Amino acid sequence: VKTVAFIALSVVGLGFSLSGAVGILRMPDLYSRIQCSSKTVTMGALPALVALVVGEGVLSDYASRALIIAALLLIVNPAASHALARAAYKTGEPMWPGAVRDDVAERRQRSAGARSGSGSGSDGDRPKSGGEDGGAEGRR
Amino acid sequence: VSLDQNLYATVALAEIAIGALLILRLAAGPTVSERIVALNTLSTQATLAVLFYAAAADRTVYLDVAVWLASFSYLGAIVWSRYLERGLL
Repeated sequence: VKTVAFIALSVVGLGFSLSGAVGILRMPDLYSRIQCSSKTVTMGALPALVALVVGEGVLSDYASRALIIAALLLIVNPAASHALARAAYKTGEPMWPGAVRDDVAERRQRSAGARSGSGSGSDGDRPKSGGEDGGAEGRR
Repeated sequence: VSLDQNLYATVALAEIAIGALLILRLAAGPTVSERIVALNTLSTQATLAVLFYAAAADRTVYLDVAVWLASFSYLGAIVWSRYLERGLL
């Protein structure tokens, strides 16, 4: 029973990790790749760690270390992905042309239109080449 | 009590094989950010591979390597994104 549970959990974890790696290879866009890196790989690591806990027993050294690593991954991986996505957006990383909405650019455009009153929406698109707009808006 | 060691070794090798796919993205990524994404994911896979190798080789000492990797590998992504966002310093 323990072997079957171990194999099932590790197959689930490895399948998620494999789909995340293939997604990172095949996705058209940095932001889509961050989705794969953040969610899929974290959720692929957790079943593998639970599989180690099941295989070695809850009271072993391996289980305590695996649970520590699971907690660390749950805290640390979203934080790193968030920082990376934020930095990439501010430096003007190009988005996939098929992307349908960009909430930050829409909000910036709306606030700029409300402030100036003229509503010049021509330059309201997100900055294509990194630098002036993102730097001026984003430095806090 | 414990399982067959070959099962752990198989899982560790599979994690390394997944890491090989990420090395492709790390080598081919057009921009720095995509390389950082691949590197961050690769460190997670390396943590899991070390952990399962520790179980396969039955060495408790190697577990500390995995804990260290999980707790400090994210600093690379944080530092690089901070550098991309506001330059040096």
